[in-house]
Amino acid sequence: MGRPLVHRSPIPGLGISAGITLTMLSIVVILPIGALLLKGASAGFVTLWSEVNTPRIWGSLWLSFRLSFLAALFNLVFGVLLAWVLVRYHFVGRRILDAAVDLPFALPTAVAGIALTALYAPNGAFGSIAKELGFKIAYTPLGIFLALVFVGLPFVTRTVQPVIAEIEAEVEEVSATLGASRLYTIIHVILPMLTPAALTGFALSLARAVGEYGSVIFIAGNIPFKTEIAPLLIVIKLEEFNYVGATAIGLTMLAISFVMLLVINAIQILSRRRIGYV
Amino acid sequence: MSKFISPRTERPILRWTLIAITFAFMAVMLFAPLIIVFFEALRNGAVAAVESLGNPEAAAAIKLTLIVAACAVPLNAVFGVAAAWFITKFDFRGKAFLITLIDLPFSISPVVAGLCIVLTFGSATMVGGWLTDNGYPIVFALPGIILASMFVTFPFVARELIPVMIEQGRAEEEAALTLGASGWRVFFTVTLPNIRWALLYGVLLCNARAMGEFGAVAIVSGKIRGQTATMPITIEMLYQEYLSIAAFSLAAVLALLALVTLLLKTALELRFADQLAATHRA
Repeated sequence: MGRPLVHRSPIPGLGISAGITLTMLSIVVILPIGALLLKGASAGFVTLWSEVNTPRIWGSLWLSFRLSFLAALFNLVFGVLLAWVLVRYHFVGRRILDAAVDLPFALPTAVAGIALTALYAPNGAFGSIAKELGFKIAYTPLGIFLALVFVGLPFVTRTVQPVIAEIEAEVEEVSATLGASRLYTIIHVILPMLTPAALTGFALSLARAVGEYGSVIFIAGNIPFKTEIAPLLIVIKLEEFNYVGATAIGLTMLAISFVMLLVINAIQILSRRRIGYV
Repeated sequence: MSKFISPRTERPILRWTLIAITFAFMAVMLFAPLIIVFFEALRNGAVAAVESLGNPEAAAAIKLTLIVAACAVPLNAVFGVAAAWFITKFDFRGKAFLITLIDLPFSISPVVAGLCIVLTFGSATMVGGWLTDNGYPIVFALPGIILASMFVTFPFVARELIPVMIEQGRAEEEAALTLGASGWRVFFTVTLPNIRWALLYGVLLCNARAMGEFGAVAIVSGKIRGQTATMPITIEMLYQEYLSIAAFSLAAVLALLALVTLLLKTALELRFADQLAATHRA
């Protein structure tokens, strides 16, 4: 038989490190995910489908994925802009802004949720301005969109920043020497170099937004058929002790997450092939 | 004489416009939510804010969150070190698959994570039922909250250590072994000093997320007042009872934790950039 399972190594600790890794991985990750798959398998596809196939659940899935996509798209544009400004320009406060980009990662989602609601509710600082102008932000899809933008904000910036930092000076100098305008250089030389990393950040931001719960439920208002996100319906099913229903929605979301993980990996492989680094 | 503009930058007017947009965007999207937390907490003055933290419910929540973090974070740190050692010091089949499995919690909704734990260890399941009958309930109790927190923070430490340990290679450890050091001695005197800042960095992120986790914990905790309500859960309960000052005061404590985390993280990145994965992940 070809390759051995584990190559011999002079370094000790194989047994203990493999033992701890596989045991903890099994208890914390594999067993629980296995239980979800098993629950789905024992219920059967027909039952799962009948649980998911209701207007309310399709509505929530459509809302979640549509708004997550839009939020990730928004973050793609502003994430690249932020990365560019933070890497290339030097100004007072740059360090602070750079550190603050990670705030959505560090701030607990429940805190972000009530803070955003306080800001965008009709009597809040920004919400009252919207009210003057005649529209509502909190308790509408727009509010959910803003919460999803908040939680996904750092991904694109953090994946694109190192790539911008590594662009060699010659690339832009050659482009300028050959007569390209600055705009032409940015569109045809720089943006293509950033695309793979930006798309990776986009996918990460999208995946995060789809599963997001804490920061959304406060600002969403959770009106059936209008502002209910998919994760909320899992919580509702669990509160009704409908484990099969919760499993059906959970598996649907997991399947979509899995596809997105594959896409992320494919993008990374493709981009590594096209240019030397990303 | 026209001013020379480097081909690597934009016209000053465009540059300053972009910088202004960045400031405005971050002020609205990031700083405003942060400031409003403290503003709402201090609406009736600092005394009211601090007093609201003294009530038994908030105090119990703070204690529970500290207990959960004190269990989940060290366990995940041990896992992270073991996994990084296993993955970087040995060659075996299925390594890429193992790394994918470790990363899995990052791409799973916290709510689905909570659901998975309920389906595995809930009192209606085989394992959970047996444990509950013997007096060790997992779900709607402390162990479930710890498990949920571990699930969502599972990859943090391993992810931070693996790139650093790959870069450092195995030569130093092999040299120490040749000189007769024992396995543990090699780990504590050669490996650990090389990875300590990356380890601290991973632990920092793991801790921030563990203390702040909401979705997964909301499902497994059962939200029993004073018993299984962590800080984020208590924030939700207070907020829904319109106890705004109390909710935002507790939120302010977590926001301060987030700020301290960011500060320490930035300090580590500036001081030990060469020893961290994050700063040269590229």
